[in-house]
Amino acid sequence: MSQEVILKVESLQVQYGERIVLQDVSFDVYRKEIFLIIGGSGCGKTTLLKSICGLLKPTIGNVFIQGQNITSMDEEELQKIQQNIGIAFQSSGLINSITVGENVALPLREYGLVDSEIIDEIVRIKLSLVGLAGVENRMPEELSGGMKKRAGLARALALDPPLVFFDEPSAGLDPIIACELDELIMNLRKILGITFIIVSHELESIKKIADRVLMLDEGHAIFCGSMEEVKYTSIDKVKQFFERRPNEQRYSFAYH
Amino acid sequence: MKSITIKSPQFINSQTGRELYENVQRHEKEKIEQIIFDLENTEKMDTLGCAWLLRIAEECKKREISFLWTGANKNVSEMLEVVSPAFEYREVEKKRIENFVIRFLYQTDKFLDEVKDFLNLCVDAIYWTILAPLSGKKFRWELFIEEIYEMGVRAVRIVCLMNFLLGLIIAMLSSAQVASFGLSIYVANLIMIGFARELAAIMTATVVSARTGAAIAAEISTMKVQEEIDALRGMGINVTQYLVAPKMLALLIVLPCLSILGLVFGLLGGSAWGILVLEFNPSVWFRQTVNSAYFEDLLQGMLKTFVFAVFIVLIGCHNGFRVSGGSRGVGLMTTRAVVMDVFMLIAVDIVFATIFYYLI
Repeated sequence: MSQEVILKVESLQVQYGERIVLQDVSFDVYRKEIFLIIGGSGCGKTTLLKSICGLLKPTIGNVFIQGQNITSMDEEELQKIQQNIGIAFQSSGLINSITVGENVALPLREYGLVDSEIIDEIVRIKLSLVGLAGVENRMPEELSGGMKKRAGLARALALDPPLVFFDEPSAGLDPIIACELDELIMNLRKILGITFIIVSHELESIKKIADRVLMLDEGHAIFCGSMEEVKYTSIDKVKQFFERRPNEQRYSFAYH
Repeated sequence: MKSITIKSPQFINSQTGRELYENVQRHEKEKIEQIIFDLENTEKMDTLGCAWLLRIAEECKKREISFLWTGANKNVSEMLEVVSPAFEYREVEKKRIENFVIRFLYQTDKFLDEVKDFLNLCVDAIYWTILAPLSGKKFRWELFIEEIYEMGVRAVRIVCLMNFLLGLIIAMLSSAQVASFGLSIYVANLIMIGFARELAAIMTATVVSARTGAAIAAEISTMKVQEEIDALRGMGINVTQYLVAPKMLALLIVLPCLSILGLVFGLLGGSAWGILVLEFNPSVWFRQTVNSAYFEDLLQGMLKTFVFAVFIVLIGCHNGFRVSGGSRGVGLMTTRAVVMDVFMLIAVDIVFATIFYYLI
């Protein structure tokens, strides 16, 4: 794997009013790696993802995408950067009023970066890449949950971004579909050389696809390292997460 | 069999892909039966390059030319394997019903289906709003109170303002017509009769349908889209009882009250013009107004507000329940509800006008 840094986060802090959601989070993501942001519910994973892809302005700190600091950019500059990244949302984020094909074609048509005469072909290629060949004329409501996520991913891949953010790919999917989606992510990395930054709390999925993980706990980054390093870590909360051990204090009422 | 072989470049991307396509196009007039792409030199191919290959494949299919590739290395093979479904399969666009008779029958069937749904909702709503509470069945009084506030109290200002302005406009326009005959005082009669029979009820119902009717349609269709309606049904809760009945009872009480307020403010609007511009003595103007008030006119105006209330709620709920699709469906159904409301107001009004014209 390449050691070229594609995304760098420095001392990131995000605040909603008085409440600090993320504090002093720093990490690097290397090109072509599958980097997972993990942690329990409400620990700030999605907030972190939104901050590093420019959807949310952090209170303090810097985010560098391919060497460019997105936190100091104006809207126009940020849009240019966002053309080079793909974002796939937890609920797919497909626009319900247009077909799946039109959804995938949306960034292609809006940015006008490719020949307009082959947009249909690009759409079919992207849908094939995510295993959805032939659904371009269907409406999003006609797709299952797993298909919607794939279609959302196809749209994120529309402009061939080197970096893709994916929020909770396996959430709400049955184990087989979730497993297929994991395979797809690994395949896309292999074929297209895409760097994936994924938010997840699905243990099976994390173990299967992650090159490195960042674990958040109450807004703090408590661990960042490879899956090999996870095995030898002495941080109790990381061990507890990977061993699926419940928090004894939280469930102590059960023993009385 | 005439076959041509095209050597592919080292990297097939958007630019080189287009060049390949143009290369194939150059052979358009030749009678070729097969095109072979020699991918031996190709080390890499991106998805845009794939899209151009797909374009070439489509072109070949149209011209009945077989399209093959050969000599792909591991990287290119993997890429082609993943995207190969796009080469083999293209979904046929949904067929539209072209035949006029079939289309007409299909639309009629859809319309009858909708009418049936509407009538079912109508019967259900009347039962759960009026009969069920009287027989001691559960009624959501807390939601009813909330709806009274939302549909009624919060609409007071806009209803008063609209009716006041309408009264002012009617007085202004009619006084200009009757002034030359020296009959300006009869503007007071006109305003009284007009507002009592028609304008207060229609104007108030229009405002309420735009506010409340649209809100009901949007609320219920959003609930449907988010499967909240299914969740209620799944819990064994009657949706009409739970959602529709409190709204209907609230509007049955609120709309007549708002219409009375509308009548008062319409008369005030007319009076403002009569007293301030036409310079009538206030006591003369108000006496004229009161003397022209007849019970039949007030009855005609008030009776239809109850019918309007029932239809505004039913149309809002009916469209909400019929939503399909996501956010777009919600928008469409809300618009449809408002349009149906306005049409219904006029239709009900004409029925009432006809009945009262012949009966009274």
